[in-house]
Amino acid sequence: MERYTLIITEKPDAAYRIASALDLNGKAKKVEDNGVPYYVAERDKPIVVVPAIGHLYTVAEENIGRNYYPVFNFRWVPRYIAERGAKQIRVWLETISKLAQGADTYIDACDYDIEGSIIGYCILKYACGGKENVARRMKYSTLTKEELEQAYEKPLPKLDFALIEAGRTRHEVDWLYGVNLTRALTLAAKDWSGKYATLSTGRVQGPTLRFLVAREKAIRSFVPTPYWEIKAEIEIDGKIFEAEYERDVIETKGEVEAVLSACKGNDGIVESIEEKRFQQMPPTPFDIGALQSEAYSLFGYTPRRTLDIAQRLYLDALISYPRTSSQKLPPAINYEGILKSLSAVPEYNQFAAELLAKKELKPNEGKKEDPAHPAIYPTGNLPERILEEPERRIWDLVVRRFMAVFGEPAIRQSVKVCVNVNGHRFILRGRQTIKEGWLRFYEPYVRAEEVLLPRIEKGQQLRIVRVISEDKFTKPPPRYNPGSLLRKMEEVGIGTKATRADIIQTLYDRKYVRDERMVVTDLGFEVLEVLKRHCPTIVSIKLTRNLEERMDKIQANLEKRENVLSDVIEILKPVVEELKSKEKIIGEQLSKAVRKARLEERIIGQCPICGTGTLMVLYSRKTGKRFIGCTNYFKKQCNAAFPLPQRGFVRPLGKKCPKCGWPTVHIRIKGKRPWNLCFNPGCPSKEDRT
Amino acid sequence: MKCSICQREALHNGFCELHAKAYENIVKKYEFWKKALNISWKEYLREVAKNPFTGEWAKEVAEHLIKTSGEQSGT
Repeated sequence: MERYTLIITEKPDAAYRIASALDLNGKAKKVEDNGVPYYVAERDKPIVVVPAIGHLYTVAEENIGRNYYPVFNFRWVPRYIAERGAKQIRVWLETISKLAQGADTYIDACDYDIEGSIIGYCILKYACGGKENVARRMKYSTLTKEELEQAYEKPLPKLDFALIEAGRTRHEVDWLYGVNLTRALTLAAKDWSGKYATLSTGRVQGPTLRFLVAREKAIRSFVPTPYWEIKAEIEIDGKIFEAEYERDVIETKGEVEAVLSACKGNDGIVESIEEKRFQQMPPTPFDIGALQSEAYSLFGYTPRRTLDIAQRLYLDALISYPRTSSQKLPPAINYEGILKSLSAVPEYNQFAAELLAKKELKPNEGKKEDPAHPAIYPTGNLPERILEEPERRIWDLVVRRFMAVFGEPAIRQSVKVCVNVNGHRFILRGRQTIKEGWLRFYEPYVRAEEVLLPRIEKGQQLRIVRVISEDKFTKPPPRYNPGSLLRKMEEVGIGTKATRADIIQTLYDRKYVRDERMVVTDLGFEVLEVLKRHCPTIVSIKLTRNLEERMDKIQANLEKRENVLSDVIEILKPVVEELKSKEKIIGEQLSKAVRKARLEERIIGQCPICGTGTLMVLYSRKTGKRFIGCTNYFKKQCNAAFPLPQRGFVRPLGKKCPKCGWPTVHIRIKGKRPWNLCFNPGCPSKEDRT
Repeated sequence: MKCSICQREALHNGFCELHAKAYENIVKKYEFWKKALNISWKEYLREVAKNPFTGEWAKEVAEHLIKTSGEQSGT
C-alpha cells in the first residue's frame, strides 16, 4: 500500500463517519487488527482513519504503588499501565503505532475541545513517535459529509497547543488533588478499621459537596413560621373568580380575623383596571448546561444521561457537537439548509415553512460564547435508524428549540383588576396570549398560562361569594437535584462543561448523596467535616474558581502551566501534611461513618410481623446466604425471614408497597433490568400476576 | 461531653454543632410564633415537633425539649 494520510479520531463511530464522508464512493473499507477497527478511504490518496476509545493516556505517579502519599511526581503513561481493567488499550496503541509507520501525513480529527485535543496530542506524541509538531488539525462541529469534507480540505496547519497545554494542566492539577486527598482519606480509614472503602474528594468535588451540605443543614435545622393568605371568591357574569388579598402574607391571626370580619356581607367595587402588554422573547440556543437543565425538568434525565444521549445523536450526525458553552448560532451553519431538510419531517414541516417564508432568519442569541463550537443545533440530517425514545425526545427538543430561537417574540397581555371590599383591596389577575410567536414552535415544551377575565368596568359592583383565609407555613429551601446542582456549579464557575455531570455522578457513586432530590448521607457529612476542619482551603469555592480562571488563561496564552502546577503543589503540601499528622482521628471519624453508612444500606424498614424489630439484609450463619430478616430473628423472638436473589445489589427503596404496605427493595443485577421487589409472600400484587 | 441527642461532641447548650444550630433557630423563631398565634413556649414546641416542614434536627431538638420540659434560653 502506498503511503497514506493517517487520521486520528476520538471514537470508533466518528472514525466511521469521517471515513465514509471522505471516501469518493462513500463506502470506506472497515479493517480489523487484533480487534481494533480502522477504516480505509480512497480520495486523492489513500486515507486511514483510526479511532481512539476516549483517553488512551493518563497522568500517573512516577513510582509504583497505591498506598502512599503525598505524590507530586507524575508522568503521562498509557492507561493500561496506570489502571486495572484497561488491558485492551495496549493492543489499541500497538495498532495505532503500526499504522503510523506507513503514513506520511498526520491529521488530528478528535473533538475540538480540551479533552479531544489531549487525546489527539498524546496519540501523535507517544504512539505515532513524535508527530505532534507535524500533524494538522481538522476542526468541525458536526459529523455531516459537507462539513467533514471541508474540514479535511482546509485543515488547521497545526495543533492548538494552547488548548492542549490548558488541558494537560487541568488533568495534572486534578490528578494532584484527587490522588493526594483521596489517598489521605481512604488510607486513614483503612488503617484505622482494616477495611477498604474508597473515600474520594477532588478539586471540584469537595466544593460541590459543600453546597449540598450547606443546603442539607439549612433544611434539617429549619423551623417554619406560620402565616396566612386571604382570598375572595367573586361572582362575575355567573362565574366564580378567585382574587388575592392586596398583601401576599399576613403574619398574625388577629389581622386575618379583622380582615375577614370587615369583608363579611359586603359587596366589592371595581376600583381600578390596569392592562399591560409585554413581549416574551424567544429562548436562546442550547448550550450543554441549558440542554441538561431543560431535559431534567421536562423528562427527568440526569445531566450525565442527557450528555450521553446528546453524544450519541452527535455521532449519528443528527445534532452538532454538544459539549459547548456557546449560545451563538453563526449564519455559516446554513439556517435555511437545515430548515429545508427538517421540513421533510411531517411534524416540523409547517413550522419550517413558516420560518423559511421570513425575510430574514435571525436567531435570538445569548451572551455566552465558545471559541471552538457554536450552540447545539440540529444538522438537518434525518435519523437513519429508529431512535430510542430518550434519543427521539432529545433530538425533538433540540429541533424545536432551534426553530423557536428564530421565532417572533410572543405578545402577552396581563390584566390587574383591583376590587375594594369595605376598605380592603383584592386583586383579580388575568393573562392572555395576544400573539403566539415562538411559543408555537417550542410546544409542547412551553405552555403559556391563560386566565381570561370577563369584561369588567371601573365602578362596577361585584358580589363577594366569600372571603377565606388559608393557614400557611414557610418552607425550607428546596433540595438540589442533579439539574439545579449543575446550574449552581456553572453559576459559581467551578468544573467545566465536560466534567460537571461526572462529578455529580461521583457523589452518588461514593454514597455521599442519595435520591433524586439530593439528600446528603452521614458519610457525605463526615467527609466534608474532615475536609473543612483539617484543610478548609480544599473546599474553598473561591480557590477552586481562581484555579479555573488561571487554567482558562493558559488557553489564551496568558498564564503558564508550570506556574499553576507549582502553586498547586504549594497549596497541597501543607494540606496533606496536616491530614497525615491527624490520620488516626480522621481514620476513626471516617471509619465510623462508613460503618454506619454500610449498616444503613442494609436496613429495610420496620418488621411487619413482630412490630418491634427492624427488617435488614442478614446473612445465614450456616450457609452465608443473604436474606431479609428481622433483627429479632437470631434471638429467636421473631421468625420473619424472606429470600433474596444471591447476586447483585439490594437497596431499600424507602417506600411502602402500595398493595400491602410492607417495605420494598430495589434490586440491580448486572445484565438485567433493575426491579422493585415487595418481598411479602402474601402480597396481593403477587396474586395479580398469577 | 456528648450531644444530648446524638453521639457527636457537644459544643453549646449540651448540643452538637448541628443540633445547636437547630436549637438556635427554634429560639429565634419563637418570637414570630408568639406574635402570630399568641402561644406559650411549650405549645410552640409541640407545634414545631409535629409540623411537616420542620427539619429533622429541629424536630429532634423540639422533642428533646418537650421531654426534658426545656425552658427557653434566656427566659
